[in-house]
Amino acid sequence: MTTPPSPAHQSPRLDPVAGVLALLLPGLGHFYQGHRLRAAYVALGVLGLFFGGILIGGIDSVDSREDRIWFLGQALVGPIAFGADHLHQTRFKVLDQITNQPRSADPGEARDPRTARPYADPTGNGPPNIKSLAKVNELGTLFSTIAGMLNLIVIIDAGLTTRPRPARGAPA
Amino acid sequence: MTAIPGVFLTLAYRPFVDPIDAHRLWFLLLIPLALGVSITYKAVRTVDMRTYWRQVALMTLQIVFGIIALGAASYLVIQHLLPAVVPMR
Repeated sequence: MTTPPSPAHQSPRLDPVAGVLALLLPGLGHFYQGHRLRAAYVALGVLGLFFGGILIGGIDSVDSREDRIWFLGQALVGPIAFGADHLHQTRFKVLDQITNQPRSADPGEARDPRTARPYADPTGNGPPNIKSLAKVNELGTLFSTIAGMLNLIVIIDAGLTTRPRPARGAPA
Repeated sequence: MTAIPGVFLTLAYRPFVDPIDAHRLWFLLLIPLALGVSITYKAVRTVDMRTYWRQVALMTLQIVFGIIALGAASYLVIQHLLPAVVPMR
């Protein structure tokens, strides 16, 4: 009688659909394969780290223009990272009067919602967001970048799986 | 409170927009970072999911104490070992 090989010793099976789904939303690849509990924990870990990074460092933690190298890691979280970056670039940054390029608003500047131009507003509501600095900025960026890099492990695990699909009625 | 010349602005904290004020206790953020890494890594590596949370707790402690040990080792090397090997003139 032969015993079935443990999952660690089985040869990997290519599942490109699960890999793509894992890139679209963390945990979706494992959910598609029927591993719902793993999917929930993956989503909790990756999205918790990504949004935890934004909570710590503010929306400034995700910035494809000023922190391009870091954004390469964050982009592995999938469309959510691109959405957060798009929101940052289009709703929070101001268009510089001289260079016409997006930049973070300075303290004492406000943003004209129609033209995205900055204007001096020392008594108003202040800039759209406060730029994070020093350790808080580093840690916020690190949290969300590690989230993306961990999701790369998740994508590979879903796309090259060694686990059989759980049987119907079995705990996922 | 943000100070600009001659003016003080009282800006309300907006979660997920503004950074948190953790400049003095930033090192405590290592704990949720280690927990998040452990939750994700063990979700794909654990064979028996009944032991999942125990393995997450163990890995979190390993990361936290590992970083503390690295910090302590760096302190000893820089503050004590290097001055003994290469005395400062």
